[in-house]
Amino acid sequence: MSRVDRLQPLVAFMLATLGVMTVFSARADWVRQIAWVLLGAAAYITAARFDYRRLRPTAPALYGGMLLLLVAVRLVGHSALGARRWLAVAGFPLEPSELSKLLLVVVLAAYLSRQERLSWRTFGGALGLVAAPAALVISQPDLGTTLVLLAVAVGMLFLAGARPVQLASLAALAITAVPLLPHLLYGYQRRRLEIFLDPGQDPLGAGYNLLQARIAVGSGGLFGRGWLHGLQGQLGFVPERSTDFVFATFAEEFGLLGSLVLLTLFGVLLVRLLRTATVASDRFGELLAGGTFCVVLVQVVENVGMNIGILPIAGIPLPLISYGGSATITTLAALGLVQSVMLRRRTVVYQEHTSPSGAFRATCGPSPLRTRGRAY
Amino acid sequence: MIELGGIAPRPRWSLRLTASAAAAVLVMGLLAGKLAQLQITDGEHLAALAQANTVRHVVLEADRGIIYDRHGVALVQNSPMSSLAVVPAGLPSDGGDRTRELVELAHVSGVAEPKLAAELLTAPDPFGAITLKTNLSQAEYLALSERLPELPGVSLPQRSVRTYVDPMVFGHVLGYVGPIDSSQVRQLEAAGYQPDELVGKVGVEAGLESLLRGTDGWADVEVDARGQVVKVLATQPAVAGDAVYLTLDAGLQKATAAALAAGLARDDKEAGASVVIDPRTGEVLAMVSLPGYDTNLFTHGISQADYDRLLKDPQKPLLNRAIAGQYAPGSTFKMVTATAGLQEGKITAQTLLSCPPYINVNGWIYHNWASYSLGWMNVAKALATSCDTFFYQVAAMVGDVTLARYARAYGFGQAKGIEMPGVMPGLVPDRIWKQLACGVPDLNSDACRWSEGDTITFGIGQSYLLTTPLNQAVYVAAVANGGRVLRPTLVHLVSDAGHVVSKQQTEVTGTVPASADNIQAVREGMREEINRPYNMNYWFRAAGVPADGGGKTGTAQWGGSGLDLPTHAWFVFFAPYAQPELSLSVFVERGELSEVEAAPIGVDIMKFYRDNVGSIRA
Repeated sequence: MSRVDRLQPLVAFMLATLGVMTVFSARADWVRQIAWVLLGAAAYITAARFDYRRLRPTAPALYGGMLLLLVAVRLVGHSALGARRWLAVAGFPLEPSELSKLLLVVVLAAYLSRQERLSWRTFGGALGLVAAPAALVISQPDLGTTLVLLAVAVGMLFLAGARPVQLASLAALAITAVPLLPHLLYGYQRRRLEIFLDPGQDPLGAGYNLLQARIAVGSGGLFGRGWLHGLQGQLGFVPERSTDFVFATFAEEFGLLGSLVLLTLFGVLLVRLLRTATVASDRFGELLAGGTFCVVLVQVVENVGMNIGILPIAGIPLPLISYGGSATITTLAALGLVQSVMLRRRTVVYQEHTSPSGAFRATCGPSPLRTRGRAY
Repeated sequence: MIELGGIAPRPRWSLRLTASAAAAVLVMGLLAGKLAQLQITDGEHLAALAQANTVRHVVLEADRGIIYDRHGVALVQNSPMSSLAVVPAGLPSDGGDRTRELVELAHVSGVAEPKLAAELLTAPDPFGAITLKTNLSQAEYLALSERLPELPGVSLPQRSVRTYVDPMVFGHVLGYVGPIDSSQVRQLEAAGYQPDELVGKVGVEAGLESLLRGTDGWADVEVDARGQVVKVLATQPAVAGDAVYLTLDAGLQKATAAALAAGLARDDKEAGASVVIDPRTGEVLAMVSLPGYDTNLFTHGISQADYDRLLKDPQKPLLNRAIAGQYAPGSTFKMVTATAGLQEGKITAQTLLSCPPYINVNGWIYHNWASYSLGWMNVAKALATSCDTFFYQVAAMVGDVTLARYARAYGFGQAKGIEMPGVMPGLVPDRIWKQLACGVPDLNSDACRWSEGDTITFGIGQSYLLTTPLNQAVYVAAVANGGRVLRPTLVHLVSDAGHVVSKQQTEVTGTVPASADNIQAVREGMREEINRPYNMNYWFRAAGVPADGGGKTGTAQWGGSGLDLPTHAWFVFFAPYAQPELSLSVFVERGELSEVEAAPIGVDIMKFYRDNVGSIRA
């Protein structure tokens, strides 16, 4: 019996395939997207073969590196659509805020795995750890990623066993922050929020995006218009049709049935991630898998939610579907890391002892630090 | 120790992990539920919106038929005109870019930027094109078309507009096209017109609308978010309108306009009209009304100032006097009186009547134009000298009822069925008409009663009689051709894509109830008139053409009764005498001396006809 979770990479591969198909249909650079998926697959394999437990000691360095990247993007980053988000690395655009999602998971997993039950100090420390990158990301400005980072942190605190009173205090904090929100938001972010609450007020601007995405999704009907036969997506009525609004493009062409398949795939992937958490050999591995679960869940919910008009617009990619190198590679690397946790899970090892009694003795314990032979 | 391999223990689903998995499944379920609502419940509605977004029904405008003269000289062209249009939904969604584009559009269109922004951003249909400026100059078009890729939402649609050749000469006949009036909208839309379509307003453009208008085609096209056509889904090509060859002879029309303009200028007159007809067929060879106006102003976008100037001009340039100017015919009517007297047996061609300086009817004095007696004369001489007192006597013998009957038989008081709107009938008065028209409540008062004076002045084309230059030309043609009243027509033939569809047939609308001899007696009088050695004949000699034909001048008083009333000058003429092929009327508004002011114009037209068009030879 193999240690490998075969279902998880299979589902990821199916999602990435649907992603490339949709990116192709949306007239984005699909060759590049295939290259990103292949690079992501390499990252997946590398991460899976790498023993995740060796990451734990490097967490402080990773945290420092994450902050450095985010500062660098503030200083020398390239801007697009009014926000500085990109770093040119060896000629390729790198989006550090995408990378920061994965790094935050590793850092928080390492930090929160020190204690079984969270003390107030650790709880506060974790919030402190997320505050710095969140502040840097929101100043890009990138409200969407900031909210993802915060949501992931909350999810991981929950999974790490934060006490109800701690979670309640977090909720109280959030509620007190709401009145401050308008002052924290940039003009366009406030505008997006207002338009989400009343899309009719700007039918040609941001409300136009919302409306066109809804029209695209709805016009897909039960069976969809067929791959490459969408009207709204093909003819450019859906804004950002290969990135933020890729789901609308997908839903128009593949219909409700296709969308349900997509959501089911995400659901299977999410449950597989949690299942890895249930079998992880240590708390760090459990939190790594749980944190990855949070990252994927939050992004799927926000992206699909804004595409169908039940959540405000934020620039969040749909994992493995949206066009983009940083997001695709980061997501696959994170899944690979979870596979690494899977490979090094708790096992029941049967060992035959040539004991005088001649009886079998089963030992139960963590597997050795290094796997023997090839994992796959 | 031999390792046999590991098997996974049962997964430990803690409460929190279980809760998380449940939450994930629940959230996915919620998204799926909302999706089902959008794609199933609202699906049809949203699909229709998508269809409306992307599929446009485009009308392909048919080219309007070209109008030619009888020899194929084009009198109008369809020339392309570009305009500047914007689809609001196509404007940049980024606020800064949008403002930049609006500023540029404001600059080009001349509309203030805030007003423009308000108009575009509150348009009821953000996907419909809004025209900002029409009639772009070539320079503007080139400058804009170069910048088009940087101006999302902007397009430069081309439309063909009518450009008239020599509108000051042909304008009143051809008329022009313009937007549909609000009063016509319902009726024309039922006939398949688009609300923004151009329709003939006056002249043959209006009269031949059904021939000139083609059949619009259509196309269902798929457009992208920027309004560019991606694919044609279905199409029905437009069918151009018929080509119409008018009966006009362009050269004769120009010569007529030139002769009339020169004649008016010679005598300091502003307005006049002339109609030339072939008395064999009723074909209108020339029709001029002065002053003319530039019909191209109307098709190329007239300014309010220009339009006001045309409307307020005291010379009424928009009035086509040839068909709609109604004036007393004066002495040119005497052929009717003569015909009636002869045919009713009151006189014969040889009957001699006196021509005193005046006659006395019931104590009222009616003057001849001469203050001395011209002696005894027969009807031919009376026509040649235009003796008023002779025709007073004839009118009194014939009576008003009979006279009115002959006038109607010659086509007076009849709106001619020529191919343009706005044709006025003129007026043949009678007793009942006078009673109704006198404007006094008591219909039996003196003002409403037909008097003997009304009858005798009727005989010299005054009284309440009104005619138009077109009616005059038809009338003189009837005298020329022996009494056949023809329907005047402007259509020579109609051609559809090179195939002759119809050729105009001569249509006789009535015959004068008079014997050939009696009409010949009248013709004889008209020949004598232009052969009088003094005055009239002078113009023929001066022009170097023989006075072969028949003519009659008339100086008609208007504006009431009395001795020193303002007058209009007339001249009617046909030629050659034996086989007439030309009949014409000349009208000079406020002309005082018809022999000097109107007749030379007719002689000039006749000279051009003889030298360039017809077969009249010396």
